[in-house]
Amino acid sequence: MADTEFREHHVDADGFKIRYLQAGDGVPLVHLHGAGGLRLTPAHELLARRYRVLAFEMPGFGNSPVNTRTASMAELASTMARAIDKIGIDTFNLMGTSFGGKTALWLALQQTGRVLALVLEAPAAIRQEGAAPPAGTPEEIARRLYAHPERVSAPPIDPALRAKAQPLVQRLLGPHRDADLEGRLQDLSTPTLVLFGTLDGVIAPAMGRIYKDLMPNCHLVFVYDAAHAISTDRPEAFTEVVSDFLERHEAFVISRAETVIHP
Amino acid sequence: MKVSFFETVRYQASKPLPSEWPVPSGVYDPEAGSRAYRGMIERLELVEALGFDWVSVSEHHYSPRILTPSPIVSAAFLAAHLKQIKIALLGPIVPQSNPVRVAEEIAMLDTMAQGRLVVGLLRGTSNESLTYDLNPTESRERTDEGMELILKAWTEPQPFGWQGRHYRYRTVSIWPRPLQQPHPPTYSLGTSREACEFAARHHLGCGVSYGSFEGVGRATKYYREQCAQYGWQPSPEQIIYRANMLLADTDEEAHETLRRLPGTAPFSMRPGVRDAMMTIDSRNIAGEARSPIVSGALPTTFIGSPDTVVEQVRRCRDVVGAGVIDISLHPPGSSDLAPLMRSLELFGKKVLPRIRDI
Repeated sequence: MADTEFREHHVDADGFKIRYLQAGDGVPLVHLHGAGGLRLTPAHELLARRYRVLAFEMPGFGNSPVNTRTASMAELASTMARAIDKIGIDTFNLMGTSFGGKTALWLALQQTGRVLALVLEAPAAIRQEGAAPPAGTPEEIARRLYAHPERVSAPPIDPALRAKAQPLVQRLLGPHRDADLEGRLQDLSTPTLVLFGTLDGVIAPAMGRIYKDLMPNCHLVFVYDAAHAISTDRPEAFTEVVSDFLERHEAFVISRAETVIHP
Repeated sequence: MKVSFFETVRYQASKPLPSEWPVPSGVYDPEAGSRAYRGMIERLELVEALGFDWVSVSEHHYSPRILTPSPIVSAAFLAAHLKQIKIALLGPIVPQSNPVRVAEEIAMLDTMAQGRLVVGLLRGTSNESLTYDLNPTESRERTDEGMELILKAWTEPQPFGWQGRHYRYRTVSIWPRPLQQPHPPTYSLGTSREACEFAARHHLGCGVSYGSFEGVGRATKYYREQCAQYGWQPSPEQIIYRANMLLADTDEEAHETLRRLPGTAPFSMRPGVRDAMMTIDSRNIAGEARSPIVSGALPTTFIGSPDTVVEQVRRCRDVVGAGVIDISLHPPGSSDLAPLMRSLELFGKKVLPRIRDI
């Protein structure tokens, strides 16, 4: 079995020293985190059994210096693309969570030939009017993020570090409907899987259908009994559908479940 | 008050049948079955003419007691024969069904019946776990997930996949969608905390059955409290109370009829099965544990003369909050049709006109 223990690495890109955690072998799977910052979930480890998972900490998040330089989501995406280049990765699968879902969309638009498939976990690129990222105490944030807070194993993100990145988040997130981005999505033929938890209290799961409307090769899956942090609430369910999609793209609709009870 | 007639199909056997569930299908008489379904239509034409608002059907298996194992087949047949009355499917038993199929069939029938459907979704009685080999410890979770998937299938305009705990689909995109938009009036049936909370969260109605007014009233109170938590208030029509009704010219006659009824428990399983089921199938009323299996006959909470029953309906409205009563006139365990028909006429003439304003 692949080594699924994540190890810390750094790569320099656009003058940023970018931290990433890596585990596993196989086709690279790049993950871009949500507005809170990088935090491993059980899904990372499950995915690392089949993929070479690189979970990046985007500049300005976590313990990295405050990022006052990056001016737009497109610019953040191109910085991340350069970081991926520097590591020596040519083609890869790309997964973005919430805020990172919008970064991933821009990255896929910029690097169409290189992104094999795109996974968007509760993406924040299209939001209902008035949607706001979770804020407040770690407990208040947890109530917004999780349907099953009892399944959270990692310690919460340090509120000070979360707060430090918020100006960057606000600057890059853009309007709840981003006409510039949405206008480009109709030309993005990268196989894309959009996932929403049925209990998402941050971004309405009904936003999922808009991606499907706009994008020519988009698949929408609802993960039952998961809130915004799908990969923490239901890591096995999340990993199963994501792995299947990365392997088979649109043919993942063909069931391989076996129902023979006895030969 | 709206009034629904609970149709159970009165199968009349030529000789006494075993009471243990499942009842051997070898003793079924096809001719008697044919008569029962023909009789059902005649009876329901009268029910419709008397002015009942709904006729309801349920899902029960392997027994002549309620001869409707497929509620959708029952409902489709009734919808084709009856022109005005609403058809209430109070089944299907969700945890043993394919939820997408349920969503499709209901949407199809709602459209074919010109929007006359009412839908209740439920977990089913304990014995029904045995029907299709459902693990009773999973039935609650499968019910909640299945109901959510049915609602999603009715309302999601784009093809979607469902990555559930008990159900997994990669492609769902039903045609037709229901005629009634976004979906037919839908109830989460049962007294449990889970059923009430589901109803409140999804703005559905709540349906309770067979308990005393006070007993089921605890569940409907909990339901209303939960609705308030979610920021809305159910209308009276969003609470259904299903119960047995014994109606006669006088109170004495009604009670005498009840005394003469056999009083057997519905769907009684073998003792070893029942005892095992009692330990693993957990049920509750608004969070308070109750036995999963009824040991005696189901109570008859509407009983007496028309005057008495009118007052009982008034109390039911006050205590349970129900805006719809779904009545089983003369208990379904009895296949004696003459008293049923007498009760039906009496109800239509002497009770129905007086409870409209309750």
